[in-house]
Amino acid sequence: MDGNGTAWDTQPDDEDLRLVNALRVGDEVAFASLIDRHYDAMLRVARLHVATREAAEDVVQETFLGVIKGIDRFEARSSFRTWMFRILVNQAKTRGERERRTQPFSSLEGELDADAPAIGPDRFRSEGRWAGFWCAPPSAEHLPEACVLAAEAGDRLAAAIDALPPAQRTVMTLRDVEGFSAAEVCSLLDLTQGNQRVLLHRARSKARASLEQYLGERVEA
Amino acid sequence: MRQPAVRCQEFVELVTDWEEGALDDASRLEFEEHMAICPPCVEYVKQLRLTRAVLRGAAELDRRGPSAPPPAARAALLEEFRRQRGNG
Ligand SMILES: [Zn+2]
Repeated sequence: MDGNGTAWDTQPDDEDLRLVNALRVGDEVAFASLIDRHYDAMLRVARLHVATREAAEDVVQETFLGVIKGIDRFEARSSFRTWMFRILVNQAKTRGERERRTQPFSSLEGELDADAPAIGPDRFRSEGRWAGFWCAPPSAEHLPEACVLAAEAGDRLAAAIDALPPAQRTVMTLRDVEGFSAAEVCSLLDLTQGNQRVLLHRARSKARASLEQYLGERVEA
Repeated sequence: MRQPAVRCQEFVELVTDWEEGALDDASRLEFEEHMAICPPCVEYVKQLRLTRAVLRGAAELDRRGPSAPPPAARAALLEEFRRQRGNG
């Protein structure tokens, strides 16, 4: 099985409870370390929805203010991180829709309905006994371990992800860049597990295609 | 060669459900049977994983950059925390 250890519950752990209690009694050191630990990730997630770094910084600021105000309302029905990022995503979405940078998430239906194969049908045999089997299989050329090339490939992938429809972009970034579990992403974005998987599947399929294209160009060069 | 129950074209659509542990036992078995005899599909799965590894690697590089919270924003938050929740 896959090694990413899909954790299906987002229950708060002991660490969470300690943190929440520390914040409730006014422990400033705990709050400072909360900021330092999550600021970057929050900024990246906010940037999925708003146009500029400045706007994203505003969203993160508003989120932390929301945490200060709302900490008494944290009901321990989710992990603290999920709770906090939920505030963040809601703020960022609202602001993004106001800016009209992104189509609202209401375009989600479109992202789920559209019939988009992971791989174009021309890559498979169309007739005979082996119809549906590869005729143009992915090649076994691999990236060397060298970091420079990996960074170049990373840029290409970042561009590919940026071009994804909003819900796919958000799901893949949360899962594969920020390391959120499937359950956390469902909770953050109000998605069913099935829809989360469809969006992830489409996003990963397209990202892989752009990596394959990059690898192909390197071989030709 | 015996025909596997799952074709490559179906395999590439099932791969996320397989990775996420969302296939029922029968489908998982068919999927894994295909994978056992089809090197190109193994290559496909490898590329999917390489994609994620490259992404994570790039994110790690980013994180080493100068991206701590802006000092003014951080100070303002701590100030607000003190004002609303402080014991003083
Ligand atoms: Zn195959």
